[in-house]
Amino acid sequence: MFKTHDKRVSMSFRSYVGFNDQENKDVDIGLEENFDETLNTRLLAGEAVVAEAQNVLMFAPLSEKKGKSGILTVTNFKLSFVTTEERPRDERGLQENLLLGEYDVCLANVDEIYQMIDKDKRRKMMPGNNISGKVKGLYIVCKNMRVIQFSFKFSPVGHGKTLTNALLHHAFPRKHHLLFAYDFRERYYNSQGPVTMFNEKKDWEKEIRRTGAVGWKLSDVNQGFQLSTSLPQCLVVPDALVDYQLTEAARHFRCNRPPTWCWSSSHGAALVRMADLLPTITDSRMLVIQPSVIRHSGLSNIIPETRTPENIMLENVRKGHPQRTQPELMELTQDLPSPKDVYGSYCKLRDLCTPDNVRQFWIQDNHFLSQVESSKWLTTVSACLTKAAKAATFLQDNITVVLQEADGRDMSCLISSLTQLLVDAHFRTILGFQTLLQKEWIAMGHPFCSRLGHILNPEVQQSPILLLFLDCVWQLLRQFPSAFEFTETYLTTLWDCAHITVFDTFLFDCEHERQNASQDQSKKITLRSLWDWGEQFLEKDIALFRSPLYHPSKSEAVLNVLCSLPNLALWSQCFFRWIPILELKAGGYPQIDLGVRALHAQIDYLREQLAEAKAGERTSNHRLCAKLSKQRVTSFFPFSATIDPVISPALLNSTLALNNSFVSNEALLDSQSLLNAPD
Amino acid sequence: MDRKTVDFEASRSKDASSDSLGSDSKSSSLNSKLGQESASSGKVSYTSASTTSIGNMMTAADKLRSKQPSIVEPGQPASRPDDPPLLPGEKVMGVAREVTYLCPYSGPARGVLSVTNYKLHFRSMDRDTPYVVEVPLGVVSRVEKVGGQSSRGENSYGIELFCKDMRNLRFGHKQENHSRRNVFEKLQQYAFPLSHKLPLFAFDYSETFPENGWNALEPIAEFKRMGVPNDMWKITKINEHYEICDSYPAVWAIPAAATDDDVRAVAGFRSRARIPVLSWIHPESQATICRCSQPLVGVGGKRCREDERYIQLIMDANAQSHKLYIMDARPSANAIANKAKGGGYESEDAYQNAELVFLDIHNIHVMRESLRKLKELCFPNIEESRWLSGIEATYWLKHIKYILAGACRIANRVETHKTSVLVHCSDGWDRTAQLTALAMLLLDPYYRTIKGFEVLIEKEWLSFGHKFQQRIGHGDDHHSDADRSPVFLQFMDCVWQLTQMFPNAFQFNETFLITILDHLYSCRFGTFLYNSDRERVQENVKQRTVSLWSYINSSIDNYRNPLYLPRPGVLEPVGSIRLISLWKGLYCRWNPGMRPQDPIYQRIRELLVLKEQLEKQVDECKQEQKARVSRNMPTPPRLASPVHS
Repeated sequence: MFKTHDKRVSMSFRSYVGFNDQENKDVDIGLEENFDETLNTRLLAGEAVVAEAQNVLMFAPLSEKKGKSGILTVTNFKLSFVTTEERPRDERGLQENLLLGEYDVCLANVDEIYQMIDKDKRRKMMPGNNISGKVKGLYIVCKNMRVIQFSFKFSPVGHGKTLTNALLHHAFPRKHHLLFAYDFRERYYNSQGPVTMFNEKKDWEKEIRRTGAVGWKLSDVNQGFQLSTSLPQCLVVPDALVDYQLTEAARHFRCNRPPTWCWSSSHGAALVRMADLLPTITDSRMLVIQPSVIRHSGLSNIIPETRTPENIMLENVRKGHPQRTQPELMELTQDLPSPKDVYGSYCKLRDLCTPDNVRQFWIQDNHFLSQVESSKWLTTVSACLTKAAKAATFLQDNITVVLQEADGRDMSCLISSLTQLLVDAHFRTILGFQTLLQKEWIAMGHPFCSRLGHILNPEVQQSPILLLFLDCVWQLLRQFPSAFEFTETYLTTLWDCAHITVFDTFLFDCEHERQNASQDQSKKITLRSLWDWGEQFLEKDIALFRSPLYHPSKSEAVLNVLCSLPNLALWSQCFFRWIPILELKAGGYPQIDLGVRALHAQIDYLREQLAEAKAGERTSNHRLCAKLSKQRVTSFFPFSATIDPVISPALLNSTLALNNSFVSNEALLDSQSLLNAPD
Repeated sequence: MDRKTVDFEASRSKDASSDSLGSDSKSSSLNSKLGQESASSGKVSYTSASTTSIGNMMTAADKLRSKQPSIVEPGQPASRPDDPPLLPGEKVMGVAREVTYLCPYSGPARGVLSVTNYKLHFRSMDRDTPYVVEVPLGVVSRVEKVGGQSSRGENSYGIELFCKDMRNLRFGHKQENHSRRNVFEKLQQYAFPLSHKLPLFAFDYSETFPENGWNALEPIAEFKRMGVPNDMWKITKINEHYEICDSYPAVWAIPAAATDDDVRAVAGFRSRARIPVLSWIHPESQATICRCSQPLVGVGGKRCREDERYIQLIMDANAQSHKLYIMDARPSANAIANKAKGGGYESEDAYQNAELVFLDIHNIHVMRESLRKLKELCFPNIEESRWLSGIEATYWLKHIKYILAGACRIANRVETHKTSVLVHCSDGWDRTAQLTALAMLLLDPYYRTIKGFEVLIEKEWLSFGHKFQQRIGHGDDHHSDADRSPVFLQFMDCVWQLTQMFPNAFQFNETFLITILDHLYSCRFGTFLYNSDRERVQENVKQRTVSLWSYINSSIDNYRNPLYLPRPGVLEPVGSIRLISLWKGLYCRWNPGMRPQDPIYQRIRELLVLKEQLEKQVDECKQEQKARVSRNMPTPPRLASPVHS
């Protein structure tokens, strides 16, 4: 039923005037055909089935009245649904993950599990609990805002319960080594390319050279993580500082994180980050001066006797500046929401993006804007951008900026990397962006495992700081479309991948934990980098990560971003893609993206023709009026779940190779047919 | 404007490497373009508006004349450096010096304020780069004096202007010598010429263009394009002299089986005699969109057999369906309330096989109030913390959503159900025009082209008597007139929403939409003057004024969407607030803190230029080769390249 997308069917459409038209048409569960007993869950090496339920019906929320029938499985990696009604891969035109099927969800992505009580009634189930009664159905909300609903109405007795209990246990492991990365047995041949990982001294050396930083040096004081477990082993610190000073100072900072270097401008101003001072310091002289006082009074006024370890450090930072200019201390704890606040915002936003049913969707629609406002998500995005823009302005004025935050591991990562995106075009390439994430997030110890909620631990605060960052970056993309090599599809994919526990990139709380895990012989783990995109995606999907609008030489060196709320927007691709009502046929941003790709293909083709003509060759007859394929994409491309667009791989692969840009005639035909495609 | 200027404009628009796009997208077509244009046309001004060439096609004489140096108006001082650039037919009426423009964003600026019969022009003198503010006086809805002779405080004495395009302007004058008296009087006179027995500027404006926009709509040709007349539909000239209905066009398409007597009887039963006539017909299914006004049912539930039969004829004209949808744009409560005034709606008992649907779109007063709130929100400064809930509280986007959803529903019935739809509201000239025009835009790709969109406005809005004069209040000073309402603006907003949802479905860009809206108020062109075709014919508007489409079509490249892909098929928008956004490029455009929305287009235009250059080079190369071959000089020896023919 899904395969036969007759053209006429797609021509017909329904207007969503109000919910009265279509609300509550009984979500009737019709059995289309007999369940196929031969279906098999596809397993990866090292993956094992924990529980299986047969004759399960799957519903995509808000969209289909009729479920798809198939087998639902819980493995040590994923919640998997396989159906006979699956579309052949090449017909889907949507992003395919080589590790996950169309209806599969990695266990780490499961956020909330509800038991269906009634048609529109559901009850939240607590992780780790056991269900003893019958389970009618499941309603699952994922961390990337995907919602899937299953019914066990036709499943053999007990299947629903078994599966639910397995899911409640395995989706929320209490030990890190229960994550799938430890079980995955596929051989790994690292081919991630030249991403700098910042786990070795030479990587930091290279970055110092690249930025031309002076006044800063490498320090081995954290070798073996002796100083701080959350910092990298190699630190970049002020030249004037000797190791014992650093060791002495570090213990006064939370998480033992003294000021360390991130980046330098060509004029010498540096971007530095550090944690707050520990409040437990008993020395009264050190208690006298709070960071805010220092900020207001100016550091130079501080009497030497009242110097805190912080001031000593900042004085060394000042000496690292070629003009000995006072650094600017930027406080992040006070001015920006805490990880807990961010999580609260996210939950409100998620509720807005995961309506239970069509009726609720339209009710939300009436107050959508004020609800977005009260979620404070965009306000937070705005606050982050404002902070980063301010830091960028100081750097431009050749003033060193010191970011200070509680543990220095959340907003510091975000603001520091956002600032660098504003001031350094290097990070606006795909490679540069990945390098930036390695440097400011992974090496500097953003607690990914805690914040992404890989492990069930009531002690730690789950919080999508990474998503907040990606959203900030998306706002930049929107304001400076030709300044970035990557697309919003890349950013959305990155967020999806943060919940796939095959890769180590976002798996650990810090480098120290990663190293411990990789050296632990009792529970072996193969480290696989997320940046090895070929492990997950085909070329056709990776091609969509590269923006056809990218034009580095035309874009500004420093991005002058507008941060006020009216200049921002809700990231519709990332947040709306699972709401089928909002899918526009032949509409949305993908039309622009693919239109420009087609333009590139034409330009490439013309260049080829010109080269041929100049060489004196007769150009071959191009058959421009070849068959016109019916290529149409929706506004959700490449995340469409309801319509089957077919995009020519040739178009996606070839057109962005701008430098060696000779494209085959075939690619042109494809782009032409895309251009001329009738509906 | 002479040829050169036109060419200059055209080439400028092609030159994507210039910043033209940046300013385009900011799109004060009045602010930015006008300056360039008038500068290039210099001081050419004609002695009188009587130099009418028919339909302003450029005659040889015109060309000659326009090349002559400036003909100075008698009584007008020779041009001085601080005089504003003038359009042909424009005259300086008053000047005030040492005026301070109180910009809400960049602070006060001192300079010279000039008032012409077309615009207000302020030019700063105290800044390094002169700062110019220009407002066509048609945009002004109210002029007020601020402060008196005894007012204290800097700039407390002056003039304030309230505009129809979401901005207010304030000027401070010196308190001595009644310095503001003259410009205030001139502003009053020329902002509200009709209240002062003066002609609108459009009748003085004498610029000529190579294109004649008055030919945009040829009613018979447009019907022919849709395949009318045919077996079921005929064209009638029964209203040729506007005797049946004075607010309808002269030419209608009605069911072929309807007699003249039927038409007269139905006219008696419909408000203002606006009987159901054809707006659009589906090329395949023959399902139609017809429009009319409410039936005069009244409290007693009056019936009219001819009207019922006539509606049946419309239904019968579509063999595909035995049903007809009557879409009443109003909320049902309003429709019921209209019965008390003799109006009402069709009862499903009287109209067999008709299904009545209310679309819940509010009346002109609600919409006016909504826009007023929106202006408060957007100008001059935006309160950030309450921005989103503030937008929600204006209900502006909710109104847009209901209009879009209504149009979507109409299009859906026609396309998917192959069923004809009859649309009306109360009089059928406000909400009805919004709905039919939008539904047609969704259904027919022709209307998504630049020329097609002009036809759509000429047809559904102008010829069917949307009362532009009343709704905009051209040239009169009754700023609180209850007949004013942003009905057409709402329609344009809906169109913009569609261009955002379907970025490659429209041939035109945002600048096109904003330019039309700017000149909706400016009174420079005759297009949006008067309330009906009958009035426009009576006043010889086509002969005495210039069409906006002449201006637009003469530099059409400025208005093209570089991503446009002509393609058949229906647009299927979604009427959810999640996909509807505030048109900041229009409503917030005076605020320099708002970035224009479409930096993408700049890059695309660059690529298009590159592509054009390459095409040219390839062509040249081929020509050269051909020439070589014909001269029997083979191309430089390349063994591997045999020449096939």
